Amino acid sequence: MSKKVALIFNGVWSQYTFAKAPKYKDIFELIYVYDITLEQLLNYDALIIPFQSNQKAIVEKKDAILAFLAQGKKIFMEGDAAEELFGAKWEDRPVNNYWWVANPDNPPIAVTDYSHPVYNGLKPRHACWHTHGAYTKVPKGAQVIQQTPEGAIITWQYEGLGGVVLATTLDPIVEHGIQQITHLDNYTDKLVFWLCGVKPEGKFEFVKEDFGIDIAPISEFYATDSAN
Amino acid sequence: MLKAAVISNNVEGIEHMFTTNNKIAYTLLEITSIFDPDFTGYDLLVVPNGSDNIALYRIREKILQFLNQGKVLFCFDGWYTNWVPGNKWIMNTDYKTIDIRYHLVNDKHKLFEGIDFDKFNFTHGISGWWACGYIETSQPQDVLMADTWNRPIIVIDEHSTEGLMVLTASGPMADLLFGTNSEGQTSWDEIGRFYQKLIDFVTTRALVKI
Repeated sequence: MSKKVALIFNGVWSQYTFAKAPKYKDIFELIYVYDITLEQLLNYDALIIPFQSNQKAIVEKKDAILAFLAQGKKIFMEGDAAEELFGAKWEDRPVNNYWWVANPDNPPIAVTDYSHPVYNGLKPRHACWHTHGAYTKVPKGAQVIQQTPEGAIITWQYEGLGGVVLATTLDPIVEHGIQQITHLDNYTDKLVFWLCGVKPEGKFEFVKEDFGIDIAPISEFYATDSAN
Repeated sequence: MLKAAVISNNVEGIEHMFTTNNKIAYTLLEITSIFDPDFTGYDLLVVPNGSDNIALYRIREKILQFLNQGKVLFCFDGWYTNWVPGNKWIMNTDYKTIDIRYHLVNDKHKLFEGIDFDKFNFTHGISGWWACGYIETSQPQDVLMADTWNRPIIVIDEHSTEGLMVLTASGPMADLLFGTNSEGQTSWDEIGRFYQKLIDFVTTRALVKI
């Protein structure tokens, strides 16, 4: 099976652990942010811009990303975001990781549109774990999907650039790679199906040989599932 | 005053995590497509959580040279590439986070003296310090902290190179004391205090070497 989704990658370990997990490694291709080209992106159905990205480097690749989107493709963007990319303004907020212990009846997200295909069928707990900031401005015509109790925008979708952009300050990809929240298969697997029509199977695991790897040059990194 | 180079991957918030103070002067070295930093004049290299381990692998010889000049590396990241001499970080989820309890193994420099160890074990009543996996080290005598299953979580490696390496199994640290904001009195303050002890330790070590 050829890989369906490009995951923009700036060398961060949680992005790597997600994409290398046997459950997902046949679906995702890590694309080093400095190497992005439109020709390369067009090999994939969809693109993910994960949390902890190098936003400055991503903005430098804006033309390729927008041209990819204009081909009717899907982009999922999590965590923080540069305003220059889609015109949405992201702001930092304190991260509340412990609401489910300290105040379980008051989650950081109060409103969710469960009619969206990614959210349809999710339980509230699976649609909200913690947020990394909020959007104070989204593109005109964007559909708001999730909001905080105060009305700040957490998740939105925009279809005005030829394809579909789904953006959220949740972090299902990076947090799944960290594996300290055990229910993220629910969100992530629905997201993957929405992005590329593939339903991931199996349990999230790591392969020890994927760690302590030697890579040189970078082109070998893309072609190698594990080394050393 | 110590001079530290901090690897910056331009991730959100990095500019607030290491700000110059009366103990240490920080310089952020920003990763670019061609990353070839000059470590001349620095005493300490800091690799925060969220760094680019592809770029770091590419400059591994330069890092080794830096260490072999007797200098210091702090690595608080998950280094899945093989750039840290004598040590590998292995991601692993064989055990549940809820069962994690850390313990000291060999605190020969008394780095945890006066530190509330429970703050590493629990944050807001949730177990774990966001360290993930464990370190496979060639220097078992240098393990400072291990987890429930005796897997190294913090290593103070004084033997693999001519320098000193302070390594955490991706456990984040920064030069931050929250104190007065909403995160006050949390575990992060205690981790921040531990970081200050690391800085004091490195400063004393540098003075002894002079």
